[in-house]
Amino acid sequence: MTGPIFPGSSVKAASAAELRFRLDYPLAPSRGVRVVALDSGAELMVRKVAETPWTKAKFFVAETAISTQGMHGGPVEVVFRSLDGAVALLNDELEDVDSIIMVASSDYGSEAAATIGAACAVRGIMTAGLVHGDNTELTVSVLRPCAQVLLVPADGSDLEALLIALRA
Amino acid sequence: MLRQEINELLTQTGPETPMGDLFRQYWIPALLAEELPENDCPPVRVKILSERLLGFRDSEGRYGLIDEFCAHRGVSLWFGRNEENGLRCAYHGWKYDVTGQCVEVPSESSNSRFCSNVKLKSYPLVKIGDILWTFMGDQDKTPPFPEYEFALVPSTQTFTSKRLQESNWLQALEGGIDSSHVSWLHSSGLNNDPLFKGAEGNKYNLGDLKPHFEVVETDGGLYIGARRNADDDSYYWRITPWLMPSFTMVPPRGDHPLHGHFWIPIDDENCWVYTFDYQPVRDLTAAERQAMKDGFGVHSENIPGTYIPVRNKSNDYLMDRDAQKRGETFSGVGGIAIQDASLQESMGPIVDRTKERLATTDAGIIKARAKLRKAAIALREEGKIPEGVDPAHHRVRSASVVLPRDQAFIESVPEKLKARPGVRQASV
Ligand code: FES
Ligand SMILES: [Fe+2]
Repeated sequence: MTGPIFPGSSVKAASAAELRFRLDYPLAPSRGVRVVALDSGAELMVRKVAETPWTKAKFFVAETAISTQGMHGGPVEVVFRSLDGAVALLNDELEDVDSIIMVASSDYGSEAAATIGAACAVRGIMTAGLVHGDNTELTVSVLRPCAQVLLVPADGSDLEALLIALRA
Repeated sequence: MLRQEINELLTQTGPETPMGDLFRQYWIPALLAEELPENDCPPVRVKILSERLLGFRDSEGRYGLIDEFCAHRGVSLWFGRNEENGLRCAYHGWKYDVTGQCVEVPSESSNSRFCSNVKLKSYPLVKIGDILWTFMGDQDKTPPFPEYEFALVPSTQTFTSKRLQESNWLQALEGGIDSSHVSWLHSSGLNNDPLFKGAEGNKYNLGDLKPHFEVVETDGGLYIGARRNADDDSYYWRITPWLMPSFTMVPPRGDHPLHGHFWIPIDDENCWVYTFDYQPVRDLTAAERQAMKDGFGVHSENIPGTYIPVRNKSNDYLMDRDAQKRGETFSGVGGIAIQDASLQESMGPIVDRTKERLATTDAGIIKARAKLRKAAIALREEGKIPEGVDPAHHRVRSASVVLPRDQAFIESVPEKLKARPGVRQASV
């Protein structure tokens, strides 16, 4: 069958031999990923994954959602604790971030999850939710409203695969 | 991204490779039944998982899949004569049966036992539905036959085609898992294609370009649910099952048939795409069947007498920029299947996954790769039979449903994701 092969067509460059002539460029790491454990079950899993050195990913445990500043009464801030115990605030940690990965194993962190989801929506930050442990249905109901992608169920190796894929 | 060594692990399926061993745990399509239409018909060359084989059907209707090359001096048995329950090499007349057993060596004396010691490698070839299936693993561990619904319904309700794709199997499969491209690449098909158009769900599909995803692990693979806004109080869900290693189903539209694909490696740089359409509870209409033969829906128009698409790499897929300008196609390439093939082939024979920049919305692809890698390693290290070998895993269906906003597909419609004889598909 004949047909248009356009002048300057590069379709033939899609061969194995031609692949090596592709422009090579350094791999930029992603702008930033934050992993947030929403409860103690999730924290265990996140701690394990955080032992591997990552380029840009930072890991936190969500402590409390602060509701006092909310214009409409809802929480606007979440207190984070980094894995070595330092305190941080959600709104500071969202600077220069592409994606937030929330990990939950219960409904304990539902308020924090909702607050994080809302803050990310405003800033156009991608949200993923990892449903860890056996308490699937309850945990899903916490993460579903505030995550663009849910993994059901998910363990440490899923978090790792996701972080590698994102070049975190 | 993916590390280079994992990309190699997932994309190489020849003998002795980890993914090759994984594929060899399953019954997989080797040919369409129509390729061996009658007893003593011409043999067909089959390259699959990088092995060169020959399929043939003997005088009594037995199917066989044997080494392509004669044990005597290595000529292709494709030139052989298929006669009197065996295939006779055209060079010096050695003859083989469907199991690859040499049954005659004309140069030997008639009472010689020589030929009983000559046996070509062979695999079973079994017709189920419109497909001839093979199992290329350890024949002592042959699993039960496959039970995919499209292959089990009466022949009046099902249609299967195939096409060559000039790319590694994995980037083809990943297109089947990634349903978010439908609202872009195939947008015009939703309005024009006779096997897609007119469904209520299409307007939701086109109306919300930022779907949410839920990736749910199942016994045999994954369900990937894509959620789009429907009405104020409801969501439109499209649910794609993926079964290990390379079976996907596309969520249906309206009363159109259910469809899906098998992505079968030919070698590491080419694959066969088997594409099926079926109706669980009714016959396909003559118009539906004709549209499939003509390459509409997810099928392709092939060069007559071949399984090579008319629109292919050698002719720029008959790129039509004017049709694109007129809004008839999004990419300028006609036909849903070839829209996919053109882009997946453009990545190169084996895409370099160390360079890709995935986003969280690619979680379905990320999870599928992780499952394949784990299964290949568990098979190699522990001899663990992978998911998707058990025929119970095959009985899945895709679905499209509109649900209240507070309900999710996996809790609300688990039964709609199962193949249920006599029950219509869940489709909007
Ligand atoms: S090569 Fe086949 S019979 Fe000699
Ligand atoms: Fe597609």
